[in-house]
Formats: sequence, C-alpha cells, structure tokens
Amino acid sequence: MARNRYDVDENLETPFNIKHLLRAGQYIGRHKKKMILSLIFSAISAAAGLLGPLMVQRGINVSVPNKDVRELVLLSVGMLAAIIVSVLFSRARSKYMIEVGQEIIYAIRKDLFEHLQKLPFQFYDDRPHGKILTRVINYVNSVSDALSNGIINFVLEIFNLVLIAIFMFICDVRLSLVVIAGVPLLVVVVMLVKPAQRRAWQANSNKNSNLNAYLHESLDGMKITQAFVREEENAKIYERLNTAAVKTWMKAQYTSNLIWLSVDNISTWVVGAMYIVGLVMLGPAMQIGTIIAISSYAWRFWQPILSLSNLYNTFINAVAYLERIFEMIDEPVTVDDVPGAVDLPPIQGRVTFEDVTFSYDGKVNVLEHFNLDVQPGESIALVGPTGAGKTTVVNLISRFYNINEGRLLLDGHDISQVTLHSLRSQMGIMLQDSFIFSGTIMDNIRYGRLDATDEEVMAAAKTVCAHEFISQMEDGYFTQVNERGSRLSQGQRQLVAFARTLLSDPKILVLDEATSSIDAKTERMVQQGLEALLKGRTSFVIAHRLSTIKNSDRILFISDKGIAEAGKHDELLARKGKYYHLYTAQVED
Amino acid sequence: MFQLKWVWKRMEGDHLRYIFALCSTLLISVMDLGNSVITANIMDTVFQPLQNGAVTAQGILPHLITMVAVLIGFTLFRTGFNYLSIMTYESCSQKLIFGLRRDLYKNMQEQDQAFFGMNRTGDLMTRLTGDLDMVRFAVSWIIRNLFGNILSFVITAVVFFVTDWLFALTMLVVSPIILALTALFSKRVHPLYVELRERLSQLNTQAQENISGNRVIKAFAREDYEIQRFDEKNRDYKEANKTASLMWLKFSPYIDTLSQGLSIAVLLVGGIFLIIGRISIGTFTLFNSLTWMLTGPMRMLGMHLNDLQRFFASSNKIIELYYAKSTIVSRPDAKNPSGRVAGGLEFKNVGLKLHGTQVLQDISLTIKPGETVAIMGPTGCGKTSLVNLIPRFYDPTEGQVLLDGTPVRMYDLKKLRSSVGIATQDVFLFSDTVDGNIAYGDIDLSEEDVKRYAKMAAVDFVEDLTDGFDTIIGERGTGLSGGQKQRIALARALAVQPSVLILDDTTSALDMETEKYIQEQLAALDFPCTKVIVAQRISTTRRADKVIVMQDGKIADVGTHAELIQRPGYYREVYLLQNGLTEEEVPIASEAKGGK
Repeated sequence: MARNRYDVDENLETPFNIKHLLRAGQYIGRHKKKMILSLIFSAISAAAGLLGPLMVQRGINVSVPNKDVRELVLLSVGMLAAIIVSVLFSRARSKYMIEVGQEIIYAIRKDLFEHLQKLPFQFYDDRPHGKILTRVINYVNSVSDALSNGIINFVLEIFNLVLIAIFMFICDVRLSLVVIAGVPLLVVVVMLVKPAQRRAWQANSNKNSNLNAYLHESLDGMKITQAFVREEENAKIYERLNTAAVKTWMKAQYTSNLIWLSVDNISTWVVGAMYIVGLVMLGPAMQIGTIIAISSYAWRFWQPILSLSNLYNTFINAVAYLERIFEMIDEPVTVDDVPGAVDLPPIQGRVTFEDVTFSYDGKVNVLEHFNLDVQPGESIALVGPTGAGKTTVVNLISRFYNINEGRLLLDGHDISQVTLHSLRSQMGIMLQDSFIFSGTIMDNIRYGRLDATDEEVMAAAKTVCAHEFISQMEDGYFTQVNERGSRLSQGQRQLVAFARTLLSDPKILVLDEATSSIDAKTERMVQQGLEALLKGRTSFVIAHRLSTIKNSDRILFISDKGIAEAGKHDELLARKGKYYHLYTAQVED
Repeated sequence: MFQLKWVWKRMEGDHLRYIFALCSTLLISVMDLGNSVITANIMDTVFQPLQNGAVTAQGILPHLITMVAVLIGFTLFRTGFNYLSIMTYESCSQKLIFGLRRDLYKNMQEQDQAFFGMNRTGDLMTRLTGDLDMVRFAVSWIIRNLFGNILSFVITAVVFFVTDWLFALTMLVVSPIILALTALFSKRVHPLYVELRERLSQLNTQAQENISGNRVIKAFAREDYEIQRFDEKNRDYKEANKTASLMWLKFSPYIDTLSQGLSIAVLLVGGIFLIIGRISIGTFTLFNSLTWMLTGPMRMLGMHLNDLQRFFASSNKIIELYYAKSTIVSRPDAKNPSGRVAGGLEFKNVGLKLHGTQVLQDISLTIKPGETVAIMGPTGCGKTSLVNLIPRFYDPTEGQVLLDGTPVRMYDLKKLRSSVGIATQDVFLFSDTVDGNIAYGDIDLSEEDVKRYAKMAAVDFVEDLTDGFDTIIGERGTGLSGGQKQRIALARALAVQPSVLILDDTTSALDMETEKYIQEQLAALDFPCTKVIVAQRISTTRRADKVIVMQDGKIADVGTHAELIQRPGYYREVYLLQNGLTEEEVPIASEAKGGK
C-alpha cells in the first residue's frame, strides 16, 4: 500500500457487513448475564409503569362514585409502590448498561492497543499518526452506547412490536393487514436510503480522520511551520479539511433523518388507508369501538418502528466506526513470533549473517547476499554513504524487518525462530532520533530496565556524562521533560537515551548515529566511560565522525548492497580504497 | 453559564437562524397534537354518524378521503418542518464548530514554544476533537431538548393554573424539591466531568506518545510495559466514566419517583376534589392526560443538566485555548521593510532564562551581512538557544538581538521569520511529497527550483525513490535515514532564499563526502546570505569566517579556525580529538592558514 497522507481517504472496499456487529457481539457476549438481566429489569419496570393508569381508572370508575376516600388512599399507596418498583428496576438496568457500555469500549480499546504494539515499523511509517490515534480514542468512544443500550432497546422494541401486532390482529385481521402493508414500503425506502446513508457516514469518518491527522501533524511540526511562515497556507489546508468534515456530516444528517421522516409519513398513509378500507369494505357493519381500538394500535404499532429506525441509524453509524477499528485489529502482524518459537537463551554475542538478501518493498534489494560473522565482544563500525543500508544491517539483527533470503544467527540461533521479546531484550539499540517520553528524567532512563534502582540509574547517567547537567536542573533527576524533550538540547537527549540503553545491560549494543549531536569532547569522555562497560559486549556503531570509529576492531564500508571493504583502520587506510577516500575528506580539506 | 453566552457570541451571523430553530421547536411541540385533533375529527364526523346510521358509507366516503388527505398533508408538512428544524440546528452547530476549529487552529499557530512545551499534543488533540464535539452536541441537541422540555412544562403549568389553581398547586408542590435535587446533582457531578475530561486527555496523550515512540518501544521490547501503562489509563478513564454516569443514578430514583408521583396527586387530590365536587370529570381528564407533560420535563431536566455539565467542562478547555495569548507577537508598530534585509546580526549583552535556569549570559556578538559564523561548544551549552533568539522562538530576558541594526522584537514577525531560513536539529518533515517538503516555505516554488535546491543540498537519493520527487514520505520523515532527512531539511531552508540561514547541527548525520559537497554549495549560493552554523565537526567549522566557542551559556572564545587551533582551549582539544592528533602534531599557524 502506498503511504497514506492526511488528505487521502482510507477507502474500505468491503460492503456493509453485519459481521462487524456480530464481531462486536463477542464483546457484548462477555456480559451476557447483565444484558439478560437488564432485559428482564426493563420488562418489569415497564410492566410496573403500566399499573398506574389502571389504578387511576379504578379510582375514577369505582372509588369516586362511591365517595370512598379510604380506597383512594389505598390505591395511591399501591401506585406509589408500583412507581418505586418501576424506578428501582429501571435504575438497576441503567447501572448495568453503564457498566457494560464502559467495559465494552475498554475491552475493544485494549485489544486494539495490544494489537498496535505488535505491528511493525512499516505500519507506523505508512500513515499519519493522527489517524491511528483517532481510532484508538475517538472511534472507540463512539460505539459505547450503540453496543450497550442500543442492543437492549433493540430487543425491547422488537418485543414491543410483536406484542402490539398480536393485539392488533386479535382486534381485526383485515384492517391489521392494511396496517402491516406499510412495512414492505418502509423496507423499500430503507433499502433505497441505506447505501447513501452508509456512504455518508463512512465519508464523514474518513474526513474526520483526515482532519485529525492533519491537526496532529500540524501540532508536531509547529516550530517548522512558524519558522517558515507557513501559517496561512496551513490554515487554508485545515479549513479545506474542516469544510469537508462539515459537509459530510451534514450529508449524513440529511440522509439519516430521512428515515424517521419516512416512518412518520408511511404510518399516516397506512392509517388513512385503513380508515378508507374500513369504510368501504365493512361499511355500516363495522363497530366504532373496533375502528378506535385499531387506529390506536396502528399508531402504537409504528412507534417501536420509529424507535427501531432511530436505533438503525445509531447502528449504521457505529458500524462505520467498528469497521475502522476492526480493520486495524486485523492488520497483519508481519514480524511476529513463529509458532513454537522458543526464548533465546542468554547469548555471548556472536552475530552471523548468512547470505542475507533484504528489500523493504519487495522490489529493490537493499542488501544482496550479505555475509558477515561477528565474534562475541567484537566492536564493529559501519561506514559508507548515506542511504547505503547501514541502518538496515543493524535493524535486521533486532528483527525489525524479516529478511527475504538467507539466515541471521545469534550464537547459532536463527533469530526468526526465537521470541521477539527474548531477542530484543538482549539488544541495546540507540536510534538517531532519541525519543523522550513525558515524565521525569529518572523515568526515562529507567525505561531501559524497569526494576533499576535510583542508584543504578544515576550510575548509568554518570557513565555517559549526563549526571552533571541533570543535577544542575531544577529538580535534578526528577525534572519533568516531555515528549520530544523540548527542555533538553538534542545532545542532552542523546545522552539521556544513551544512559537508557546502557541501563538495559545489552549483550549486543547498536549505536546508530547515537552521538552525532554530542560534542567531540563529551563524546570522548563518554567513550572512556564506556570502554570498561563494552568489554565482552558485541557492538555495532554507525557514525560519520572518524574519532568515533577509528578504534573499532573492524570497520565495514557498506555500499552497493554489501560490504565493499572491511578491516582495521590502519589496514583500510593502507589499502587506499573507499575508506581512505572518506577519511582523507575529513582530515584534509 | 458564561460558557453558553460565549458560545452564543461565537454564533454571530447565525443568531436569527438559531432563534428560528428554537421557535420551530415551540411550533413542533404544538403541531405534535395535530394528528390527534384530525383523527378525533374523523371519528366525530365519519364513523360516529355512520354508526348512528346518519350517513351511508358511500355518501361519507368523499368526506373521509378529504379528511385522510388533510391528515396526510398535515403529516407531510409537520415532518417536513421538523426535518427543516433539525437541519437548522445541525447546520448552526456545524457552522459554529467549523468556525471554532478554524479560530483555534489559527490561535495555536500563533503560540510560542513555551506553550507547546506546556501543552501536550494529546491534550490539544482532545480539545479539538472530544471537547468540540461536546459543544456541537450542546448546540444541536441539549439546548433544543432542554428548551423543548421547559416549554412544555410551562405551557402545561399555565393551562393547569388557569383551569384550577389549587389542583395545579398540589401538582407543582414537588417541583421545587425536584429542582433542588437537580441543582445539587448538577453541582456534585461537575467536578466528576472535569475529572473525566482530564482522564480522557491523559488517555489520549498516552496513546499518542506510544504511537510516536513506537521505534523506541520496539527497540527496548517494552510492548508489555506499554500495554500495562495504557491499560492503567484506559481503566482510569473507564472508572471515571462510570463514576460520573453513576452519580446520576444516585439522584434519579428520587427525582423519578417524585416526578412520577404527580400521577398519585392526580389520583388522590383529583379524586377527593371530584368527591367534594370541586372539579368536573372533564377537568380531571385534562389533568390526567396532560400529567406526562409535566413529568417528562422534570425527569429529563436532570439528564439535560448532566449533559450540560459535560458541556461546561469541555467548553472551559476550549475557551482557555481560544484566549491563549502568545508572548511572542508582532508589535502594533512593527517594522515591515519591503525590501530584502541585508542580514547583519548583533547580540547586545543577551541573556536568556528558561525554566529558572540561566541558559545564556552576556552574549555580545556582531555578524556582518554575508558572513559565515560557526558556533561550537559542549552539549547543553546554549548553542541552539542562541540561534533560537534570531527568529524569535524565544525573546531574550536581557539585552537585545538586532537584525540590520533594528531589534528583532521591532520587526513584523512574519517579515522576520521569512527572512530567516532554519534547519533545526530535530528534523521534522511532513507527510507530504519530497517536493512538497522542499517547497514548504514557498508553495509557489517552480519544479526546476525545487530540483535546484535539492541538488544544492545533495538530495540526490530522491532518484532512487519509487516516485522521485513525488514520493510521499512518512510523518516525521520515517522511512528515511537521518542523513536523508537532514538533506531535505536543508533544501527546504535554502528554498526560501533567506537573508540569514541558520543550520543547527544539520549535517551531523551526513557522510564526509556529502558534507564537503554541501559546504561547497553553501559557499557559492546565488543569493546574499548570512550563515550561522551550529556544528560539532571541525570539518564544518574550519571554513567559517568566524568560529564562536560557547561554554556554559557564555561566549568562551571567538576567532578563525587557524587562530583557535593555535591557542589552548576547547576548540583545539576538539580539533585534536577529531583528527586523532596529539598536541605536537598541530600544524603551525602559517601552514594552517595556507591550507585553508
């Protein structure tokens, strides 16, 4: 799939599918007991509510003519009891429904989030993050009521409908048939409106998703926007997306509201037709009592249909969101534990690439027949032109991507056969873009090993020379930093990220341009601190600064989908090849 | 309540339509009685006479058809009118949130860095999604229903009082109690909704950071930990939601019992009044049949106030954002010179304090137009803070920064910033095409120009991408290597042809050859440009006209490369380190100059 942008709709090709509602049923099913009890409670509550009018009728027909005040009081007490029963059962139902609704969205959100954690880089790289966020938060929130109260009311209204239909038929079959004749008509209308309605809600969910994606990106990139004075242009783009969201909403409203409109009108036609049929067919033989009764039933027969049509709108809307949510839950996990994967035992740190071929898109190979054997404890430096595949090489060791051909072994274990968690937790990877979570600096470093004590955290910070600047901050290690670490300079963020990686005590350390923003002097000190720590650990370093790579055990020059040159610094210089060329470019000017 | 007033103000231009909508709600509640009137008429004029044998079925048929036609016509009109009314509410509310979204977006664009440091993206997202939706809901639904309910309550109450004041009074005696209970509930539930809103914002932030930090999470295999952390927030939100919703259930039994108790009053009081002959059976029937018109609104009042409280909690957040003021804005008398600024910079005793820390101190520095100045210094010494003062990402707390002799504060902010091209340390690219990213600062840039600047910044790798310059790159440039991102960011900065070009460690991830190429390109730009380059590499700084060495927020040394390597100090140490030389190997001054 091509990358998705904020202004590209994520079209869903599958037709309307009851499957999504049924799938939501799994979530509802966990609360079967509460759902059934709610249904019963609702019925009791409704029945108790019906007692009131009966008591009034009795009071007027019997007590008042008898001037029996005592009975009137008794009836009132009875009525109060009925009301209390009705209120209490309805409250019990509401309580269950609130709980069920919240539990369902909690569970859906949990499943969605857990699945998201398994999805590979590719997934996150291919679409604006705002679109993912909108689904996790806003879409999930939108389905709560439909899946709790909606379902219960749906059942109740169907029940109601059947009951009224039965009463109506007992009253007069022929006239009832006239009333029922409106139902197929309504079905036709619904069938006509439905596709448009579904399209409209889908379009709206698309446009909202686009709007949020753009907002998200705008907020993240605000500094650049301001620096480049792009505010007006961006406001225009936002306004365009805003307009689209409003337009699709209105369209969805225009179509959705046609449903109750149709129900209301069709019911009137049906009742009108019933009067005429009643008059023509039955003539004077007809009792006025019958016509009054049946017309009252006819109106009441359409009441639940109206409620059902409103519920139908709610469901259509919820399905539009559920589709999007389930689509994401169904997103295939391309990098996952194979069946029967075993934990990688604690390793020494030997890394072997056996004839590895890799491509990101399946078309252009980034690495071809790549072979490399790294001994435990060896330090490897990767150099070469930007985009040659240095990062790719180290990413493959952590199995961030699956290789297309060949094998990749750690201490002789094929990494595709071990669990991801056991593999990655023995690796320490420091990326170029050092993401800092919001929280204290202490928390951020501890992210590397969650059970580390404060002392261990500080020791790690000291090793990478971060202790000094951290102690100088107002709250020291407990200073709050936020995402993207705006309170720290880029170099300081790298140091914090470095401490975080060190704390994880990895067997294999990967530094991908990890120190590019740290000044040479600090870097030197960091390296001195590291030397002792790195003993016995395999390390891969990607760097452009020669001082960083010069002392490596082996330097690999990566280009043309493989290793062009390999050897120690001095050997490579003596060869006067690509590395020599690179080196002289820096030293001599 | 001021929130409602505020929203009303924001609906400027739609006031009449909204009032129309409110009036139509009134009309519709009256029209709702229409069907019963017409059917009653049909009974009286058609079926009753038929029953009595006063008319024949054949004879009365035309009249019945007319009446049915009236019924159908009236229903069509009523439903059509209602449809129109609902659509008016919808379009008013949509126009309102359209305008709010637009204004909030614009206002956020004007905020300074301090604002974005304080407000997390997830929280701001919550305001523009969930909170705004609550405002929409209030305008299109809550108010409509609240108004409708109050209306039917008042109308019914008036009818009752006119009919029999004493009977009416006995019925309305419970309403103050209900009102008091509702008010108490409303007061109790308010903090719960404030809390709920906060939880939502936290949930949003947690999810947002998780998505943004997905690479780090995978690198540390922290998925389980993340799931656990998210689960906490998810659970908190669920519980807060339940607590807020359940609060209503604490009050609703009393309110419901009291309001439904009206029927008891009808039965008991009405019955006694009937017995003593105070009222007729007609009056009784009227009271009995209209009681639900009082009961319904009283029961619903609590629910609507509940929704209204949610609206208050949300709208407070929106109002706060709406009026957020940036400290960095153009002055009313800002200078906006029409021509290109020359690009001379001067720092006069500049100091900067951020979060209580003195980041910069006593910075005095002059940079002539066209000069290339490199800034070097240890991590955290204030290099980025210094260059951030030029386009006014921050204002200095002491001293002044001048551009062409005029303090930068005095410039129109847009003029100032469009004169400055910056490539920041933390490269941010937009999920757009390569072309779109390079032309970010100047959307009218021609294709040839995009390619020209791309070439200057060595964005040659684009040829290898599937769609060349039209390749869409992921948000934040995911999918590109660090060096590739930096090169695009550089091309973007060059493309605005700035008078002052700031490169904040933008070439750190580039290989030596590429960097050298870029250095050459920068030296031969086809527009006059002052360059301020923050760098860690000697290979970058050696070409500069002037190198500024910073330490602890102060300028420690200034000189040319040749001068600085001759004197002991930070620069010389770095020079030696990077070239793997020892003290003795420093080339003597004349050689260094010759080499340059």
